[in-house]
Amino acid sequence: MSGLKKSDDLNDSKLANREGMRQESRRLEISEARRGRVDKDVVMEILNLTKMYGSHVGVKNISLTVQRGEIMGFLGPNGAGKTTTIRCCLDLIAKTEGTITLLGLDSHRDAVAIRRRTGYLPGDFGLLPGKVKSFLRYLLSLSGCDSTKKMVTLAERLDLDLERRTNELSKGNRVKVGIVQAIMTDPELIIIDEPSGLDPLIEIEFQRILKEEKRQGKTIFLSSHDLSQVETVCDRVAIIKNGQLRVVEKIQALREKTGKVLEVEFADQVNLKEFRIDGVSNIQEENNRVTMIVHENLNSVIQALSNHRIINMNLRSYSLEKLFLKYYSEEAGGDGE
Amino acid sequence: MIGTIAFRELKTAWKIVLVVCFITIIYSAGMPTIFPLYRSSIAEELEGASRVHITLPNEQQENITLTWDSLENATSYMVLEDNRSSMLTARIKYAGSETSITFTKDFTEKRYYAVMAVLEETPDPVLLGIATTEIGDPFKELLENPAYKSFTGGRSISMLEVKGFITLEFFILWTMLAGMFIAYLSVSNVAGDFENRHMDILLSKPISRQRYLAEKFAAMTAISLVVSLAAAVGLVAGLSSINSLNELSPLATLMSVTAGVPVLMVIAAVGILSAAGFQKVRTGMGISFAFVFAQLFLRTFGSFSKSLEFMKTISVFTYWDYSAAIFDTTFKVGDFVLLAVVSVVTIAVAAWVFNKRDIPT
Repeated sequence: MSGLKKSDDLNDSKLANREGMRQESRRLEISEARRGRVDKDVVMEILNLTKMYGSHVGVKNISLTVQRGEIMGFLGPNGAGKTTTIRCCLDLIAKTEGTITLLGLDSHRDAVAIRRRTGYLPGDFGLLPGKVKSFLRYLLSLSGCDSTKKMVTLAERLDLDLERRTNELSKGNRVKVGIVQAIMTDPELIIIDEPSGLDPLIEIEFQRILKEEKRQGKTIFLSSHDLSQVETVCDRVAIIKNGQLRVVEKIQALREKTGKVLEVEFADQVNLKEFRIDGVSNIQEENNRVTMIVHENLNSVIQALSNHRIINMNLRSYSLEKLFLKYYSEEAGGDGE
Repeated sequence: MIGTIAFRELKTAWKIVLVVCFITIIYSAGMPTIFPLYRSSIAEELEGASRVHITLPNEQQENITLTWDSLENATSYMVLEDNRSSMLTARIKYAGSETSITFTKDFTEKRYYAVMAVLEETPDPVLLGIATTEIGDPFKELLENPAYKSFTGGRSISMLEVKGFITLEFFILWTMLAGMFIAYLSVSNVAGDFENRHMDILLSKPISRQRYLAEKFAAMTAISLVVSLAAAVGLVAGLSSINSLNELSPLATLMSVTAGVPVLMVIAAVGILSAAGFQKVRTGMGISFAFVFAQLFLRTFGSFSKSLEFMKTISVFTYWDYSAAIFDTTFKVGDFVLLAVVSVVTIAVAAWVFNKRDIPT
């Protein structure tokens, strides 16, 4: 049992030697996980995950860590490998290589124990026939949970009628059922795969629920298409493309890196040369309305602006959407599908 | 909670099970009620044999004499000879207007003689009767056919008795119907969860794949038992309506049907295995239906000759010895346990296969 002695050193050396000691550390990590000795604040740790579908690459060499109490957004074009990553985590599909540790447990060997503490909303799923209520009750009993309190509260908040039959539900209502079943057992880790089809008011309520769960110390892994959703609720975001992680960054940091969008409407024609200042890019003009992206030197920009009569002005964050487009299209020849 | 999936399965399937039980009861209760009619029509056929008389060689004479009753409107008679009761390879022994022939016995094997009458009004001759060089009941010979014997556990049975009738007429169809129903239900219940995309949510709950399959199998076992009991209830009701319970007791009836439960369990296990392996309703259905028919054929062909007997031993239907229950009121516990074990092993294999497979999106 030399692994037992080594495991303390391992925590220090793990990051440094990740590549070199991959095999060794993987073995030790598994045994660590078995004894629950991993960092309690790391809820999800994906290490060098590779999933092949025959010769087709699902995801390649993904490493990602999610801390307790954080909402991690997971973004990428269709077919990038978001669902593959999530389904590997839940052991619905077998990983080809790598280690996944959820809640300190090995994703394959301890799958059942993990699922007891995890909620999952699949991207695509079918509901069993019958009433919504009986379907959810059935899932509750599969989880060994007796209390229907949270189920009822969530359904009320999302405006989901529990008496309806599952085969009569619209897409949006089916997603609501999916949300309720993922959260109703009060899991520590909530994994959500592309929730869409909710109407705007319900969407706001859903985001509110996610934030509340986070406040209660829950960890949320949110794969999404809806960028405003990610922007509103997520603390960090991981962007995946063609099966590979492109970036993992705090949303705030991403915004700061990419600057602000300044929109100014002038009373008269202006010379765009005035705004060629360091830290300003993408200057465009249309009918006396000038847009530019300001990374730094905001003061100089305002000085330049003060020489003109301004009708309207708007300074806002660089939209996440544009940011993602930038990441998505950065790679030449990348097919977003 | 253990049993949740099995219970849900039963709750979902109760409607179709009810329909099948209803059909089963109609079939199993109806079958005995046609027996009296069946018996009288066969008895009529057997009477035909009494119209043909055979005198075999003895001390006084060496020849075989065949005589028959004359028919009023017959213009001539024809005697066909064959060494098979089927008369498929018969040759004409005699054609003429006599009602008696005598010939030397220059053979040792058993031979069959069919006497046909050629009538005035129709060109086709009609069968007057049959005689053989051995026992006088030609119908009994038919039941000696190995194809029939496979259904009777090697017994010589009489179709003129209700026991023989139930053994052949009821069980030949019932084994197939029950097998197909269980194959259909087990495949559609498991493969349906794949096709209807239930798996992602179900398997995100704290249940292992082996538990999922085991509970599905438990539900199928319960359904097999319910359907078998429905058949027993129907049979007893039908037998009582023709006052034949003294010939075939309710206990023997119950035994004969319930001996098939582990056969249905094996079929359910094979259905679940193919569903878990191929994850498609159509593929699974094809495989498990083919399994049921192959098993039935194996039992039948395995009875044809000694060299084919191995076929019989690998057919699950061989271990459903309903005739032992019907004729001897014997319940073969060994066979029952053997098949139950086979079904559990099959489910273990299904779980192993399922664990290797990705859940399709």
